[in-house]
Amino acid sequence: MKKNLILGLFMISAAVGSAQEGDSTTTYKKRVLENTEVDFLASYYTQEGDNAAVSGGVGTEHLTNVTPTVVVSIPLNADDVLTIDGEVSAYTSASSSNINPFDGGQPADPFVASSGASSSDTWTNLTGTYSHSSDDRNDIWSAKLAVSTEFDYFSLGFGGSYTKLFNEKNTEVSVNANVYLDNWKTIYPYELRPFENGRNGLSDGLFRRYNITGNQNYNPDFVGLDKTNRNSYSVGLGFSQILSERLQGSLALDVVQQQGLLSTPFQRVYFKDVEDSFIQNFQLADDIERLPDTRFKIAAGGRLNYYINETFVVRTYYRYYTDDWGIRSNTASIEVPIKIAQKFTLYPSYRYYDQTAADYFAPYEEHLSTEEFYTSDYDLSEFNANQYGFGVTYTDIFTQFHLWQFGLKSIDLKYHYYERNTGLKANIIAAGFKFILD
Amino acid sequence: MIKRILFCCLIAGYFSSCTAVKEYEKVKINDPDMVLSTKGVDRFETNFQAYREAAAGANGGKTGGGCGCN
Repeated sequence: MKKNLILGLFMISAAVGSAQEGDSTTTYKKRVLENTEVDFLASYYTQEGDNAAVSGGVGTEHLTNVTPTVVVSIPLNADDVLTIDGEVSAYTSASSSNINPFDGGQPADPFVASSGASSSDTWTNLTGTYSHSSDDRNDIWSAKLAVSTEFDYFSLGFGGSYTKLFNEKNTEVSVNANVYLDNWKTIYPYELRPFENGRNGLSDGLFRRYNITGNQNYNPDFVGLDKTNRNSYSVGLGFSQILSERLQGSLALDVVQQQGLLSTPFQRVYFKDVEDSFIQNFQLADDIERLPDTRFKIAAGGRLNYYINETFVVRTYYRYYTDDWGIRSNTASIEVPIKIAQKFTLYPSYRYYDQTAADYFAPYEEHLSTEEFYTSDYDLSEFNANQYGFGVTYTDIFTQFHLWQFGLKSIDLKYHYYERNTGLKANIIAAGFKFILD
Repeated sequence: MIKRILFCCLIAGYFSSCTAVKEYEKVKINDPDMVLSTKGVDRFETNFQAYREAAAGANGGKTGGGCGCN
């Protein structure tokens, strides 16, 4: 009897325990994001080169860019997060200043920046993303709306994604789709504007103010662009997998279709079968770059990260890219985070990039006026590039330092040096401060 | 290109056939440096590359449009 009583009590307590366990799994739900997070990010970028596309493949590419950014992630409830991303990119560009090289205080020259209105500008972007996670956190939906504006450009973007986790959250597949509807204000090189659609040509004030040297009968057969919009449609697939306790990898595939104005209206081209005309030291444009109005791109990439030990992690990345303009490219990078102390990690990195030239690219004075499409933009040329980087991160999981109600969680500092075999050199410094609302 | 995509699918299938790592075994996988995405501070690097290079996509960055770049 006593044995039966003990056995009965044991079974009841086991049943109650089991029920409580079941209840706890159904009622307890960890929030996707515990507290509001604020990221203050900024970068300073500078580049030098002698192949400016604005002046047909010759001329200074000097450019500086400062980009303050704020990203705020707000947990709306246990499942939903709203992220607002605001970015301002302020730049000064020697090459874009030479859209009008005649408004500076010195003789017009492709290797000298002009000081006119086009020498600097601001690009502004605001993106809102809403994400929802299922109760078991195995399904994640998100929707995105983005607006960007610049002096010659406006863009509206929207998209969505769905992510599914399974296999005890070891495997993740995702699909995303995005649409960008861009609209350009067509700004042409200054000397071509008098020749657009039968305007006053050489009678324009520019040619009365300055003498033309070289071929004095400057008469470009210039026709303005009839499209001012650019639509980009992309679909992306993602797959990631935990391979062992120390190794995980991912694969990504992006397919993009672009339509509309895919050239830049103020980038000059000089033909070798047209006599050269100059004002001061600046060669007058024969035409603007002309490119097809469609482009189809495919990019496939993979990441593989390996945890060596408590000090070292290896992060690798490779991407293959191809498009129907004839460009094929390889990208490979490696980063080795090194934890030097509990709160500090170093990030040395290296990246290699190469690409073949677009079918429509030729350097300065190598295009013929009889070609249908042409550009001397060296971003579409054949080149390879090496990038060396170094970063340091400070992390305080206890957020001891406070600014008002926000605790500082981490500081990231990064520097990259980028060098192309065409001569372009660039430096970028970036910083990020992550705060968490108490 | 199709061969490359098929190869990627094959690799994906191979990966997903691995034995699942339990939650309590994910201490190393959950290390912040093991994440498969890029950090927020890396966005600027990705953006300038999208401006200066013809290739874009498959890296978490923009694929064209919305930035005045390719």
